[in-house]
Amino acid sequence: MLSKAEVVKQAGGMNADEAMSQYAQGDVAAFEIVYEVVAPRIEGYVRRKVRDNARVEDIVQQTFENMHKARGRFIPGSDVLNWAFAIARNLVIDTGKKSGRESSADMTEENETMGAVLAAAVAGGEELFFARETGALLVRSFGRLTKQQQEVFELVKLEGLSYQQAAATLGITVPSVRMYAHRAYLTLREALGVDPFPGPPPVAA
Amino acid sequence: MPLSPDFKSRVLASVREVPAPTRKETLQRQTWLIAAGLTGALALFLIKGGLRVTSRPPSLIALTSVGTAVFVGVGMWLLFTRGPPGLRRPRTVLIGATVLSAAGFVGWRYGISSLYGRAGAWPGRVGLRCLVLSVGTGGLMLFAALMSWRRSDPVTPRATGAAFGAGAGLGSALLVDLWCPVGYVPHLLLGHVLPIAILSLAGGLIGGRVLGIMRRR
Repeated sequence: MLSKAEVVKQAGGMNADEAMSQYAQGDVAAFEIVYEVVAPRIEGYVRRKVRDNARVEDIVQQTFENMHKARGRFIPGSDVLNWAFAIARNLVIDTGKKSGRESSADMTEENETMGAVLAAAVAGGEELFFARETGALLVRSFGRLTKQQQEVFELVKLEGLSYQQAAATLGITVPSVRMYAHRAYLTLREALGVDPFPGPPPVAA
Repeated sequence: MPLSPDFKSRVLASVREVPAPTRKETLQRQTWLIAAGLTGALALFLIKGGLRVTSRPPSLIALTSVGTAVFVGVGMWLLFTRGPPGLRRPRTVLIGATVLSAAGFVGWRYGISSLYGRAGAWPGRVGLRCLVLSVGTGGLMLFAALMSWRRSDPVTPRATGAAFGAGAGLGSALLVDLWCPVGYVPHLLLGHVLPIAILSLAGGLIGGRVLGIMRRR
């Protein structure tokens, strides 16, 4: 089995979008490049929503199978990561419906890993990374966000997607994504005790 | 726990097992099916009488048809095509395109008909015949669109189906506009706009079952 670097080098430095375009045209070997780039991102996203390792692997595998089956629909030049996230998200929702909505329940539990990730994602949170109380507080605050605020925050702040990519993944407009991200960010900053609207310093009497 | 090399082999092997059409094959199939759907709709329109001039001045027919074509064309483009990331447009855009296109062509048609003094009620022409023709021609277009995308939407099959239904309904409005001389608003709402809602609903219901990719067991 070749490493990611070797696979990409063998393919002449092709990126994942180009590789998916090639695969849509029938170049079978190009799918390995798509896998190398996309799989770790999708796995990280799914793992945050689903705890059971077997189900994580099942969803990641199903994501790639769906990408393969729908390859004829991939528009050359489109963003494959975006497409893959949208497919994976759909599968996570389907799986959640079938198994008693594990995903949302997970988010509200005191999950230390999630708390640490959230703490790192919020500005000023790095120094508090190891503070368990902060992690638990953030997880509780995250659980109070609306479902869409949670999804936008995850995609933008944790997965590093752009507003445009997150909007396409969720099937909503870019202004909506901006609004949800902003509100989520404010809520989490408030939970950390950081004033979201710092005013001028108080004037001494 | 990162994904193992074994897992990668398993994914690549499972993908190799299932045949999937390439983009070229998909587009060929889609072209044939859409062409068949449009031909069927046109044939039904011609069987029902095709362009009916009645007592309408040719300039009235030309003006209403051109205006309707513009509103319907923009709406159909937004509903049938995908946005820059290659995914279906946001739901608010799809709903907005449907509502504004329908409101636009009804308003245009009423406005132009009023200018010619032909926006009054037509006794005995409630709009049921237009409703049937619209659902018939639009239904054929919708069927073709759904078949051309069958089992190939891994993300939003219901929204895609509903968008196709609304798009087909708008397409049928263009044909029926050439056939129907009535510019009375209640008639337009029943015979020309209601079919868009009916086809969109049908598209959403059928699309949810037909367009999604089957999960392996």
